[in-house]
Amino acid sequence: MVLMEKKVIFREARESDVDTLVDLVVRLKRLNEEFDALLKVREDVRDRAKAYITNAIKDKNSLVLVAEYNNKVIGVLKADIRERFFNDPMIEGYIIEFYIMPEYRKQGLGTELLQLAIERLKQRGAQIIAAEFPSQNKIAVEFYTKQGFRPIINIHAKQI
Amino acid sequence: MSQQKERTEELYKLAVEYSKFYGGKIMMVPKVPVRTLDDFSIWYTPGVAAVSRAIAKDPNLSFELTSRWNTIAIVTDGTRVLGLGNVGPEAAMPVMEGKALIFKYLGGVNAVPITIGVRDQQEFFNIVKALEPAFGGFNLEDIESPKCFFLLDNLRKTLKVPVWHDDQQGTAGATLAGLFNALKLTDRKPKDTRVVFFGAGASNIATARVLITAGFDPGNLILIDTKGILHPEREDMDELMLHNPWKYEFAIKTNKDRIKGGLKEALKGADVLVAASKPGPGTFPKEYIKEMNKDPIVFVLANPVPEIWPWEAKEMGAKIVATGRSDFPNQVNNSLVFPAVFRGALDAKAVTITDEMMVAASAELAKFAEEKGISENYIIPTMEEWEVYPRVAATVAQKAVEQGLARNKMSWQEFHERARQIIEESRLVLSTLVKNGLIQMPPKVEKII
Repeated sequence: MVLMEKKVIFREARESDVDTLVDLVVRLKRLNEEFDALLKVREDVRDRAKAYITNAIKDKNSLVLVAEYNNKVIGVLKADIRERFFNDPMIEGYIIEFYIMPEYRKQGLGTELLQLAIERLKQRGAQIIAAEFPSQNKIAVEFYTKQGFRPIINIHAKQI
Repeated sequence: MSQQKERTEELYKLAVEYSKFYGGKIMMVPKVPVRTLDDFSIWYTPGVAAVSRAIAKDPNLSFELTSRWNTIAIVTDGTRVLGLGNVGPEAAMPVMEGKALIFKYLGGVNAVPITIGVRDQQEFFNIVKALEPAFGGFNLEDIESPKCFFLLDNLRKTLKVPVWHDDQQGTAGATLAGLFNALKLTDRKPKDTRVVFFGAGASNIATARVLITAGFDPGNLILIDTKGILHPEREDMDELMLHNPWKYEFAIKTNKDRIKGGLKEALKGADVLVAASKPGPGTFPKEYIKEMNKDPIVFVLANPVPEIWPWEAKEMGAKIVATGRSDFPNQVNNSLVFPAVFRGALDAKAVTITDEMMVAASAELAKFAEEKGISENYIIPTMEEWEVYPRVAATVAQKAVEQGLARNKMSWQEFHERARQIIEESRLVLSTLVKNGLIQMPPKVEKII
């Protein structure tokens, strides 16, 4: 674990962060892969991630936040503003990528990053915050439960 | 080396023939006299009922009124036996019997081999937990990694008797003992010494942990596994977090200079190499040793053949070399550790064996060698120096008392005397059985050419 001598900066992602963010997103996809064979990562994951991040940074309906320490991006959170078709509350902030580099974990950075995301998503009109992660990821379950989230929808899948 | 190969072949043949001749290596012998058959009404029913009642009232009395105080179980699932791999519980038995023999002969400890037919770690845990009432301690053996870490950690936390995993702790204890003296001889201090671990299996993970307890700086340690040097930015960090949290933890707290790459890169500026990887010779190029600091210390512990030969390491400038073999100087031998550690833990009726108790055991082993006079070729005692066992046992017991983990509190001298007596008696019983012909000498086996 790194001794945090300097301050961690939380901010919105910039073009110049893309390469590092690709690395973080690929790490997250590989972590997800550990939980289920149906989350197997594609060969071209890096290219996909690059296009995905580049678009998200430009997209008005996406929020990409980073945690920066010592001039290095060490964490990312990406969420989308979505409209729920049938349900109230209607505007949803949907967290879909959330990753902190291993050595910076367990120091509350995730909580800070999440709180900032909630604040920003709320400013953009979100009335409900949701997060997506593999069902078997118990660490995520524990984290979100602690933050007051509860499971509302399950996605069950099988290969055919 | 063909001579050595021949010798090994001969040992294989003898071991099979002798095993057939003796039908295994251990047996159970009563420890009470049977003057007449009436004695059975004391040792057994009806008399024994009173003993049962007493223990039912106070289960701790099982350590006084039954053999539990001096009996441990050697438990394995046979998933990582010697260098043989996953041979299964039946095939693990001869190895566990051998272990039991060493426990009895060098430590005076009754050790019962229990080879179990389960693979799942939780099931394994449950079985050992269920066996707790019968034994004064548990020696886990030859279990695949990382299951072995899970079992040691969780059983240590849960059981009220000592639990030990010899592949982790035995080797770690012996390595640390040797290191203590190697550092003295080369004028180094633990906290400034840079150590590279080649191989990140059970023994090296445990050794790294114990070194930190002994005062080494975690940042000065570098661990290397099959994928290279461990560091916090390695791509497989999350996989490690989920499947090998022990290795994960080391990836985060070791290697403060963030050295990346393989063994060669790691050895640059290192003082000590502890290799516990794949049998040699030539597991890595001997020239790598030249990358190390002046007067490097090289432990090449793979069995049966060290990663590089000791003379190769010396050629490349190694000041002190240790191996796992008895035919070279400086044998890092877990048999120096486990019989004595259990002797001490059992005599103190310790509730657990802590890393601090292990470090104390290593320090005492080192001190013993130092008193005899250490040199490049003698940094650790040998099994023949059996006086070392009661000393290590007493030191472990004393540490348990100090840490408030002993149910039996005596002085070092008292523990020492008790351990000496028990070990001596154990040897005497065996030699008496042999002398009286109850244990025969083995038959001559045709030598193979």
